[in-house]
Amino acid sequence: MHLLPKFDFYEPDSMAEACKVLAETKTEGKIIAGGTDIMVNMKKGLLSPKYLVSLAKIPGVSSIEPITGGIVIGPNLIVAKLIEFDLMRKKFNLLSKAASVLGSPLIRNRATIGGNIVTARPAADLPPPLMAMGARVVLMRKGKERELPLDDFFVGPGQTKIKPTEILVKIIVDDPPPFTGWDYVKLMHRNALEIAIVAVAVRITLDSPDGIIKDARVILSAVAAKAIHAVSAEKILIGEKPTAKLFARAASLASTDCTPITDIRGGAEYRCAMVETLTNRALSAALLQIKSK
Amino acid sequence: MKKIITLKVNNKEYEVAVAPNRTLTQVLREDLNLPGTKCGCDMGDCGACTVILDDRPVNSCLVLAVQAHNREITTIEGVADGPNLHPIQQAFVEHGAVQCGFCTPGMVLSAKSLLEKNMDPTEHEIREALSGNLCRCTGYQKIVEAVKSASQTMKK
Amino acid sequence: MKEYAIINSRLPKVDAWAKVTGDARYTDDLTMPNMLYGALLQSPLAHAKIKRIDTSKAEKLPGVKDVVTAKEAGLVKYGVSPARYDETIFCDQKVRYIGDEIAAVAAVDLETALEAVSLIEVEYEELPLLLDPFEARKEGAIAIHDDFPNNICAEVHQEFGNVEEALKTCDYIRTDKFVNKKQDGAFLEPQSCIATYDLNGNLTLTSSTQTVHYVQRTVAMVLGLPIGKVRVTKPCVGGGFGPKASANTIELVASLLSMRTGRPVKMTFTREQVFQHSRARHQFFHELTTGVMKDGTLIALKNVCHMDGGAYSSFGIATVYYGGSLLGAPYKLPNMKYDGYRMYTNKPANGAQRGHGGVIARAAWEQQLDVIAEELGMDPLELRLKNMMKKGDVTCNDFNMSSFGMEECLEAIRDGSGWKEKKGKLPKGKGIGVACGFFVSGAGFPIYRSETFHSTAMIKLSEDGGTINLYTAAADIGQGSDTVLTMMAAEAIGVRYEDVRVSSGDTDFGVDLGAYSSRQTLMSGHAVKQAGEDVRNQVLEVLSRNLKIPVEDMDIKQGLIIFKKGKVDFSGLRSQYIKEHRGWVDAPSGDELTFKEAARVAYFEKGVVVGRGSYKPGDLGGKYKGAAVGTSPAYGCSAQVVEVSVDMDTGKITIDNMTDAHDCGFAINRTNVEGQMQGSLSMGVGEALYEEIKFDAKGRVVNPTFGEYRIPTALDMPNVNAIIIESNEPNGPWGAKEVGEGAIMPTIPAILNAIYDATGIRVRELPVTSERLFMAMKEKNKK
Repeated sequence: MHLLPKFDFYEPDSMAEACKVLAETKTEGKIIAGGTDIMVNMKKGLLSPKYLVSLAKIPGVSSIEPITGGIVIGPNLIVAKLIEFDLMRKKFNLLSKAASVLGSPLIRNRATIGGNIVTARPAADLPPPLMAMGARVVLMRKGKERELPLDDFFVGPGQTKIKPTEILVKIIVDDPPPFTGWDYVKLMHRNALEIAIVAVAVRITLDSPDGIIKDARVILSAVAAKAIHAVSAEKILIGEKPTAKLFARAASLASTDCTPITDIRGGAEYRCAMVETLTNRALSAALLQIKSK
Repeated sequence: MKKIITLKVNNKEYEVAVAPNRTLTQVLREDLNLPGTKCGCDMGDCGACTVILDDRPVNSCLVLAVQAHNREITTIEGVADGPNLHPIQQAFVEHGAVQCGFCTPGMVLSAKSLLEKNMDPTEHEIREALSGNLCRCTGYQKIVEAVKSASQTMKK
Repeated sequence: MKEYAIINSRLPKVDAWAKVTGDARYTDDLTMPNMLYGALLQSPLAHAKIKRIDTSKAEKLPGVKDVVTAKEAGLVKYGVSPARYDETIFCDQKVRYIGDEIAAVAAVDLETALEAVSLIEVEYEELPLLLDPFEARKEGAIAIHDDFPNNICAEVHQEFGNVEEALKTCDYIRTDKFVNKKQDGAFLEPQSCIATYDLNGNLTLTSSTQTVHYVQRTVAMVLGLPIGKVRVTKPCVGGGFGPKASANTIELVASLLSMRTGRPVKMTFTREQVFQHSRARHQFFHELTTGVMKDGTLIALKNVCHMDGGAYSSFGIATVYYGGSLLGAPYKLPNMKYDGYRMYTNKPANGAQRGHGGVIARAAWEQQLDVIAEELGMDPLELRLKNMMKKGDVTCNDFNMSSFGMEECLEAIRDGSGWKEKKGKLPKGKGIGVACGFFVSGAGFPIYRSETFHSTAMIKLSEDGGTINLYTAAADIGQGSDTVLTMMAAEAIGVRYEDVRVSSGDTDFGVDLGAYSSRQTLMSGHAVKQAGEDVRNQVLEVLSRNLKIPVEDMDIKQGLIIFKKGKVDFSGLRSQYIKEHRGWVDAPSGDELTFKEAARVAYFEKGVVVGRGSYKPGDLGGKYKGAAVGTSPAYGCSAQVVEVSVDMDTGKITIDNMTDAHDCGFAINRTNVEGQMQGSLSMGVGEALYEEIKFDAKGRVVNPTFGEYRIPTALDMPNVNAIIIESNEPNGPWGAKEVGEGAIMPTIPAILNAIYDATGIRVRELPVTSERLFMAMKEKNKK
């Protein structure tokens, strides 16, 4: 049995209180949400925060609230609920799909959306769909909020724009525009309990059912220090009529947009090749979704 | 500093003083003398430590005991009704779903949680629900058959 | 076919109830009053001299009761085979892999013990690292063990027939190389033990082990105790698969600490320590040259094998022999030459794992046979049928196939899988493959040279006659030996399953070499059968004297005495029994005399009614050097068909269907046999597709977790069509032989052959990850 290093545990009942507690810990405190990442790292001896602050008691941090034009997701919402909620499955099924391949059912019952974002693993499952949907995060420090597009949030592996005493308090996702299709494709060694070898999230929005691509987002995961936009693929898609040929070209470009490393889960060359395959598949699936609506 | 917490385990309330760095696995096994919850990897990878926490199966090795304060916990010791096995347990016995038995508590609890939400799962749904519980002995087949059979028994 | 009352059925396992309710106790679930916790200091370097160890700070930490190093532990060498004792409890002069044990602490709790370990100071001088077995062999490489200057831990050279001459006569010869990666047993229960030494000088060691007998001998030898003063006992064990088949460090260290402190000491591995301790499947590099005639007749096989042994020998001496000998069957093969080399490297020691030594050789050869069949224009299944051995055949290395249902296995999988309809007719990306395998049914010789019995059993009747206590040292590690032996005892005596109570896995119960080499059903089974028959005869003899009826006119079935020649007046016995049990509500009644009543009479006469059984194999043939590895009283065999789908754009493989037929001689418990088949196949799937221990440049295991060391999940394993073949083994109890390990043999090559059928790619390196297959397909398309 591994023993966790010693720490003090706080469970404030308001966000303001949480900010206060965290500020008082200086930089030696960490937020614990589901614990599926931080506890593993603490057991391995990679982290030993002196204070852990849980958000679980704070009202509203584990819910999904519909707002005009979108939804607000609390950071402590467990991943399983992204799959279970009707609203998610019907309207934001891209996120549901990514959630459904995260870890295992046991992990999904503990891991939170906020944790999956803040830990900033380059292969995390939820950032790619959230970026494809144009999600924004709200951060709070000393009672003051700031809003940031998720696109600008990640810096590198384990690193984000969040300040040591700042807390992720909300994730905002807009309703998809009409004629939007999307998909998340994750390549895994096994069919469960896996971190992606490569994953791709795409979203395309047409100007009309049979029209041209008005907006395109192609997010690549596990092939760079953080989830990235396949910029040249997105560029070539926008303004064009969606065709198999176009998708193939975009997919090929996407593989030039990534900078994978060779690590324990896969080689760089293979990952590049997989970006192409997965992007092509995801684009085709997204288009099919628009057509079948 | 230790915290006094209340754990509602198998319909019984326990008041325990725990250091914040103790996991639910440790407190169940060591403080409450409920060693049916196993520790296979201690990292959330194997599911041997599965307990049901407020209606959801979780890896108890990744739950701090203090996080379980005032919450309902079912461990394997709380599944049978006295000497009467739960239909899932009965099916595990009859179908040869048990070999070394180290994954069995977790398997039974994941299956129980599934069948409480989905009375008639497909084989794929069963496999999906058990996919966080590793078994090295059985190849899963007899476990899946047992869960399927239990679902039919429970419908009656 | 003969009807049996108990065996050949599907009775639930004796331990199933305890295991589904959480009542089953494994070692780490147990505590003792006043118990201490032990922790190890392990080397952070893979190869280094130890310049200095300073334990003073650790000793001063409050709560620490003992700190030990090689100075305290002594330097008695031990290992698995006496031919290669190369380990000591703690490292003395140098460390040989990351994880090598340097010191240990006993303290009042684990936290204190771990803190004390962190306070021990060790000064090292780094030595050159040898991680590659071929580098280790090179001239001038530093010796990892001084006694083995070229780092060759063991080498084997065997030839049966004349391979070079035979190859000259062949119509077709091909050579292929094959390599796997170091693997892990990946049992779910980490090793754990509690040692309790009392002031009478008795040591009781409770441990998660497959082999209480070998652990008893090793602990006694290393710690200088008489064997009789050491009792090793196992509670439930959460899987073993080989790596738990020999004494481990914590068993020795906890025993030492308990002897020194006079208190019970518990030690349990973390999962990372399980990976470091390892003793699992070696990495093998095989080069196979096979010669055949045009019609597919196998003529000769040349097998050169290099093995990465890791830092110590463990089971490696046996492994290096098995890497050759287990290709002697199941095909008729008149000429076979083998050169095997096991090298020391600075990695965790490799040892035995399910299908010991033969799995990778089998994978390599069965794939090569598939290539040969294609080159000759033959159906690969037909090629196998053509060369298949039959009952009574003896291999070129003197293995006697005293029963051999291999043809039946092949026919069963051919018909059960729809082979004829599918082979060669599946679309691109879908494939079907076949392979065969065989395995020993118990090692013919113990791991140390000895005339010892391999299994003993004792059956003692309770004084009321109602309960039959079976005592055996055999180890149920999940495979179900307690169930099988209970069934055998009940069958042999003629009582009901529930009347037998089994106590097992304890050196106080006798000698049993344990759960390895697929031996217990046959060997422990023989001892139990004999003990049961002994008890049965004793009861019948007493009854015969009492009732004046010849023994041969009586029988025992379902706990009732059968009088073959009609009714017998036993009212005297009955009324006496009832009189003695006033107040009981279950007094014997009915027209038949119960076994309980009869056994009570035997008790009156004898006081102690004990049946005895013991088994050792007879002369098994094979006089050449190394014949001890591979000879067995019987051989199990199996054939499999696997169907796969390959995602041609990613290389990802899905196993769609598996059809497996296994000849286990006679199935004592049909459900258990299927369970062993399905479990073996799932381990084979893991090894074929995912499993690989990875190292960094410093020799550190980089994936010591179940997240990155991948065994199949419930979503990765298909259902297996498990077909039981029963060939009635003459050397087995009721005709039974192995199923526990042999079933894994065909899995990897059947998958490889199916992958070829789907993609046209022969993969000769395991595991076949999606990346490996994709890159191979890409390479092929370039050409």
